[in-house]
Parts: sequence; structure tokens; C-alpha cells
Amino acid sequence: MTTQHKSKSLSWKKKFRDKLIEIIGATGVISSDDELIAYECDALTGYRIKPIFVVLPKTTEEVSAVIKECHHENIPFVPRGAGTGLSGGALPTDEGIVISLSRMTKILDVDIPNQRVVVEPGVVNISVTNAVSSSGYYYAPDPSSQIVCTIGGNVAENSGGVHCLKYGVTTNHVLGLEMVLPDGEIIEVGGKTLDHPGYDLTGLVVGSEGLLGIVTKVTLKIIKKPEAVKTLLASFDHIEDAGDSVSGITARGVIPAGMEIMDSFCIRAVEEAVGAGYPIDAGAILLVELDGPTAEVQAQLPIVEEVLKENNAIQIKVAKDAKERELFWKGRKSAFPAMGRISPDYYVQDGVIPRSKLAEVLREIEELSKKYGLRVANVFHAGDGNLHPLVLYDSSKEGDLDKTLELAGEILQVCVDKGGSITGEHGVGHDKKRFLSLMFDENDLDTMNLLRCAFDTKGLCNPGKLFPTPRTCVEPGMKPFKEHPVQKAGLGEMY
Amino acid sequence: MLKKKIVNNLLRIVGEKNALTEEAKLKSFSVENVQPGIVLFPNEIEQVSEIMKLASKESISVIPWGSGTKSALGNLPESVDVVISTKNLDLIIEHGASDLVATTQCGITLKKFQSALNKERQFLAIDPPHVGRKATVGGIIATNDSGPERFRYGTLREFLIGLKVVRADGSIFKGGSKVVKNVAGYDLPKLYVGSLGTLGIIVEATFRLYPVPEYSETYIVGFSTLEDAHNTVSTLLKSDLVITSLEILNPELVGSLTKRNDLDLIDDLYTLAIGIKNVEKAVKDQISTLKMICNQNGGKGKLIIGAQEEQLWEDIRDFPWELFKAERVVCKASVVVTQIPQVLTTLKRLSDEYGIKTYISARAGNGILIISIKGKLSSIIDSLNSLRSFVSSIGGHLILQEAPPEIKARVQVWGDFGSGLGIMKKIKLNFDPNNLLNPGRYI
Repeated sequence: MTTQHKSKSLSWKKKFRDKLIEIIGATGVISSDDELIAYECDALTGYRIKPIFVVLPKTTEEVSAVIKECHHENIPFVPRGAGTGLSGGALPTDEGIVISLSRMTKILDVDIPNQRVVVEPGVVNISVTNAVSSSGYYYAPDPSSQIVCTIGGNVAENSGGVHCLKYGVTTNHVLGLEMVLPDGEIIEVGGKTLDHPGYDLTGLVVGSEGLLGIVTKVTLKIIKKPEAVKTLLASFDHIEDAGDSVSGITARGVIPAGMEIMDSFCIRAVEEAVGAGYPIDAGAILLVELDGPTAEVQAQLPIVEEVLKENNAIQIKVAKDAKERELFWKGRKSAFPAMGRISPDYYVQDGVIPRSKLAEVLREIEELSKKYGLRVANVFHAGDGNLHPLVLYDSSKEGDLDKTLELAGEILQVCVDKGGSITGEHGVGHDKKRFLSLMFDENDLDTMNLLRCAFDTKGLCNPGKLFPTPRTCVEPGMKPFKEHPVQKAGLGEMY
Repeated sequence: MLKKKIVNNLLRIVGEKNALTEEAKLKSFSVENVQPGIVLFPNEIEQVSEIMKLASKESISVIPWGSGTKSALGNLPESVDVVISTKNLDLIIEHGASDLVATTQCGITLKKFQSALNKERQFLAIDPPHVGRKATVGGIIATNDSGPERFRYGTLREFLIGLKVVRADGSIFKGGSKVVKNVAGYDLPKLYVGSLGTLGIIVEATFRLYPVPEYSETYIVGFSTLEDAHNTVSTLLKSDLVITSLEILNPELVGSLTKRNDLDLIDDLYTLAIGIKNVEKAVKDQISTLKMICNQNGGKGKLIIGAQEEQLWEDIRDFPWELFKAERVVCKASVVVTQIPQVLTTLKRLSDEYGIKTYISARAGNGILIISIKGKLSSIIDSLNSLRSFVSSIGGHLILQEAPPEIKARVQVWGDFGSGLGIMKKIKLNFDPNNLLNPGRYI
């Protein structure tokens, strides 16, 4: 962020490209305009910047050599996985390169007895579960994009999914990393064993949105598939009742694997798209998945049913087999793409609130929707209070997008006012950096910057993301304490 | 010695009532036998900030202190000027029972915090040692302490979702949030779990909580060989059982536990302690399955419940500190779970070779071994060094949790920090440029 990147000359670009080719070969460097277009944005397509080059390294050493070159030339670089991110975290930087990890796709070690899998960052999320499911294990974090998104991207964003209420998010399943620091040094942190001496760098890097370096190897924890699973689908006339059911269930001491709510817009769109068996005329549905030892699930099922009935559920269906369960979940996971059927465009918001405030926040969103004259569809990870309001708009209508962004921003303000967060799983990236100050004051942001500066003094690694305003790094010890004249004269103390 | 002027300024911040300066009283706040110049008991977070601003200006060292139960962890200190006790910062700020989260000031003891949470049938899912000796929430965060139930729930990094810290320069910041799911900004709470007070004084924390399980039983079962015990563990880990705690106790430890608890176990056997907490029927169903698995591997066991069960787990958590009142040597080895038998065998060999006695409780599902060693100083030093080189050779780590200064002078406390050490040092430098906080003890 500190470095000013003046437009580079053609001859410099040619020389730099030659160096990159020398490191990873001609097939690993993309430089033609028509191919670079594919890397102009991630899944947040509203912002586009063309990188000068894209490189596709195959090894850690290649990543390191490329970064050393960037460090030497003061060229910013942006890591990229599958480009499914929704906050613009992989948006290229002006006059910078993109380092795509899509060719680092090896599963390096499957260690079933120790419940560990070591992968390269380009491995697709679902492939981890596929590699271990025959032994009865799975990798728990399951973002909706899990059939395409990569582990490297999940690490950067600390991705969640529909089962994180009980099992946690990516950070709870990553035990170690190999990474290339912004000056090209390769380090290993954490690993297959627990309680390493030293600060928890693994925990810091997970969710750091690619600002602290590029992860080249990830050690994951896999877990045993549960003995029993029961999935309930409850429908309600009013979405507030679905919301109250959620806190009602946890208040009874039941922690389901996941709890998901969809409103009537989503139900209709999803039914049209995939036919998941949702009641089309319901005001809202709530999906509840219980898992664990058979006796535990059997004990919890009637408690959940009771809570649902107390909260005016019209109908409760329990999936009768694995096939029906998958269908219930397929509906949920296709909620975003299905929106295309009821609106030409949609903007996905990602905010978090305490789950006890679901009903009141939904009412406020409804009011905002009226105020702006834009429809808002609601689908969310209700169990952990993670809302995904979808603002429906038409980009061909003048001013619709601006109004949409304003409305989406107001929703975040509501979340923060209720003691929540501006992002639960999509990240701050480029899209939300101006909202970070809603949650954090200058001291908080300065502290985050101290951390970033420990990794990246030059500010070359995914610059321009996360922080609301550019922050520079000050070398410690550069500002010696100076006494105020009043203190010098012994007239007073200033602490 | 602290300059008179500095002492006076410190006293002005907290008030004379909230400070100790008399020689006799300072002794119990010594760090590795080094006595501080003053102990402060701030009542407000602002006071902690004022103290740190003064400390930065005067370049005096500061030791954050909860109840001092783990003050033996770390290298010998470089300097001990001021101890800041968080004892008076013990307010529970908020317990959002329906959101399963709670925020508290960090000087509160875990015991007091848990009993407040228990009123709503919830708890912080951590079972470290020293709870009876007033271990504080802040101290447990700073040392990343844990116990047998980490097998089911994990360690504090999984539950600490937000915190407030006073940095070395006195600035107060917060990280994380008060909701369970949040990815806004860096995950600063992770940095502070296990940071040993070197990056700031943790004054407030927000945790994710769990409902208190309805029912609990423990099966304790001895095996005639280590191999049988380990095979049982492997089968249990592959099974569908959801176990809360799973410990392998070595024969020496079994001997001393059975005497304390009237357990009537066979002293010279490797023994598993297996705890299950759940709804009653799920506990009973699973206990009967695990009994069968244990029997198939030749295990002879008994079921314990109620007060005796609680006492057993407390004794397992606290054994190094309960069995030996002084001159304790405690270390923690971490390896992958399949290598636990190798470590146990190595410890047996070292015991025979050096004439030491080792007491071990291994978190069988996590690969963590808590080891307490009795013997001649020189034998302990030699055996610790060989144990470390063995554990390192199989990709693990050995940390010295507690030992007399004579041993620390000859055995590294932390071992190899790995290739991340450079970054850790830069973080420490950026957060505490004058090296005021717990200097020398860690990073």
C-alpha cells in the first residue's frame, strides 16, 4: 500500500515477463489481454482490474521465486484460488500480478489413523472428503461452493458452510501451513501435531485474506462421520417464527449440526430451479440437521419437534432417507444461483447477528426493503446468526445498483448495532473495507496493521484490501519518546 | 530496584490500597525466585493502560499475573519490575444465554465464571488444571492451558471469539467480536491464546459456550500390556463413539491415583480412563459398546460415576501439582496419536536407564502427554534431553512446563520454535518494541 506503482514501461514489462518465464516456464505465465480477462475479478464481478500478468506456479519453490522477484521489483501480487470469493479478495491490483494456485492440486498425505490430510492449496474442498470418505471420515467445512472452491481460498477467507454451528469453520480444522512470506521466504507453521511452541501463526493466517503471504501447503483435520443423522424441514407462515425456533432449540441445550432458514422468495426460486420438495406457499422454512450417536439424535429429535410446534410450525418433515436429505440440502445450496429465476441481478450480503435477535433484525430488513423499493430475499445460516440477505435488482435500471449497495450497507449497520459483524464468512476483501470501521476503531485497526507489518513491510501482498484506509509500516524504535516542554520543566507528567 | 519516583507514580494510578510494596509480601509474587519491586491490583482497565504508558516511558518490565498458578512456565525472566495482578478485574460483563456466548473481565477465576454460567446450564468447554487453585480466565488464555476434555471440545482457540487487550504502549484495542461467526479483520484472539503475556495484558474476553451435558459416566480399565491398551485406543478412535475424555495413564500414575481415590485398580497396568458425557441413554449405550471393545482387548475395568468420577478427573488434571508439592518437573510432549506408545516406551526405558520415576497421563486422542518426573537432578536433565531428541526425531515437540531454575539452565524450556520464529520475533517487536512484557520468558 505504501509503494507507489508508476506505470511500467513496455521494455520493463518484457524483461519482467522473461524473468517469470525463466522461473516457471512459458506455459505458466499468462500475458495476452484476452486470457487476462478471466482474472479481472472473482465472483464479485462488479469490480474489475486487469493484472499485468498471471502466473501459475506448480511448486512452493516457484511461488517463492516469483515473490522474491516481485519483492525485488516492488510489484504487488494477489493470490487467487478458484475465484469464487464474494468480497473481491482476489481482485487484482493495478500494475500488479496475480499468482494463481490452480496448478497446485496434489493431495500430499492421507493419514487416516491420525486423522490428518495434507494438501496443496489448489485442491478443491470436496476432494478432501472424497479422499477419505471410504474410511468413514470427512472434512467438515462445507461452503456452498465446495465443488469448485479450493482449500487455499478457504484458508484465506476462513470459509464457513452450513454445518459450522456444531463443527466450526475452516480455522477449527486447519492445523498447519507451509507458506511463502511476502519477501519470498518459505516457512512452516503448526503441523500434524498439536500445541506447537510459539504464537499461533496458523490461526492468524487463516482468514487473513491473502495479506500475510501465500499458503502453499495445508494440514487439515478430518473427522469421523456421525453414526446417525436426522434432517428436519419445518415450514412456517411467518419467518419470525422460524427465527424464534432457532434460539428456542439451542436454549433447550441442543446444538444441531446446522440450522438454515429461507424465506418465501428463496423457497419459490429454489423449487423452480431444483425441486427440493419445499412447501411452495410457506412464508419460511427452517432446515435442522441433528447428528451424533443414535441415542443422542433420538433424544434430541422430539425436543426439536416440540420447539418447532411451540413456534407455530405448519408442517414438519423428517427426511426419510439419505436421498431426501440430500435433496433438502441441495435446495439450500442452490439458493444463490436460483435467484436468477426471479430477478435479473442480485447482491449477496453477509452479516452476522446474535441469533436471539433474528426476528427483530428480519423486521428491520423488511422495513429497509420497503424504504428502498427493492426486494430482499433472505437465506441464512440461522444457527450462528449469519445472514445472507439477497438484494434483488436490475442492473439495466439506472440507479438500481447504487440503491442496492446503499441498502446492503444499511443492513450491515443494523448487524453491527445488534452486536454482530459485517462479515461471517465472505471476508472484507475489497467490497467491505469501508465498513470495517463500523466494528473497529483506530486502535483496533492500528493493532491489525502492526501484525500485517510483521509479515509484509513493503505492503506488496494483496494490497488495498481489508483496511478501510491505506496504512504504512513504521519500523519499531523509529519514534523515540520526546518529553513535552512542560514535562522537561518538571511541571507535569504526561502518560 | 524501582526508582522512588516511579513507585510513587504507579501508586498514584492504582491508589495505595491496591498495591503491595513491602518486601515480605512481594515474595509470593516472585517469578522463578526473582522478586518484583511492586505488585499492582488495578480496578479498571484504564488503570492498566495508565500503568503501561508509564512502563513504556520509564522502560520498566511488567509481568501480567492472574493467580500465579502457571508462573513457572517460561524461560528464566530477564527482568521483573512490576507485577500487574488482574485479580480486581473480575466482572462478568454479559452472559447471552440464548446466544451461547459470554463476555467477562479476565481476572475472574475459572471456577467463579463456570458457576455463573452453570446457572443457565451452560459452560466454557475447558477443563485445565489449577481450577481449585484459582486459575484465572486470563491466565488460562495466556498459557493456552487445557485438560482431558480437549478431546471432545478442543482448546481455547476454538472458543475465544473476542478480546480486549492493553498493549505495551498502553493503547487499548479489541479483536474479534461477540458473535460466534465472524471473519472481519485479522483473527487477533488467536494471537493471544498461548502468548504468555508477551503481547499485551488480556483484560476482557468473549467466549462461545456449550450446554452442560445431562449425564456422565467414566470407565476405567487396565490392560496387561501397553500394546493392548493402544489397540483399544485405535479401535475406539475408529468407532462411532463420541467420547469426551480419553486418557492413557502409566502404571506409576495409576498406583498413586488408586491410593488417593480408593479406586482399587491394579497398580502396575497401563490404564485407560474413558469419560462420556451426553444424554443419559446415549451415555449408557456408548459405555456398553466401549466395555465390549475393552473386553475384546483383554481389559479389566470398572465404571465410576458421581463424586468419585469428578474426583478422578480432577486428580488426572492436577496430578503433577498434587502429587509433588515442591521441586516439580513437569513437561508436555506432543506427537501424532499413533506415536504415543513409542513415547511411553521411551519414557519407560529412560526411567530404567537413569533411575528416575515418571508419572504420565496421555491425551490418547490428541497426542499430548503430560509427564511428571522424580529423581536426581542430573538424571532428570539427561533424561529430558534424550526425551526431547527422541520426540523431535519423530516430528513432535517437548515443552518444559515447570522445573527448578537449575534444570532450566541446562534444558531448553520451549525447544525448537521452527521456521516461523522470525515472524514471531517481528510480531513481538511490533507489539512490544521495548520488550517490557514478560521479557525473556518466551518469544
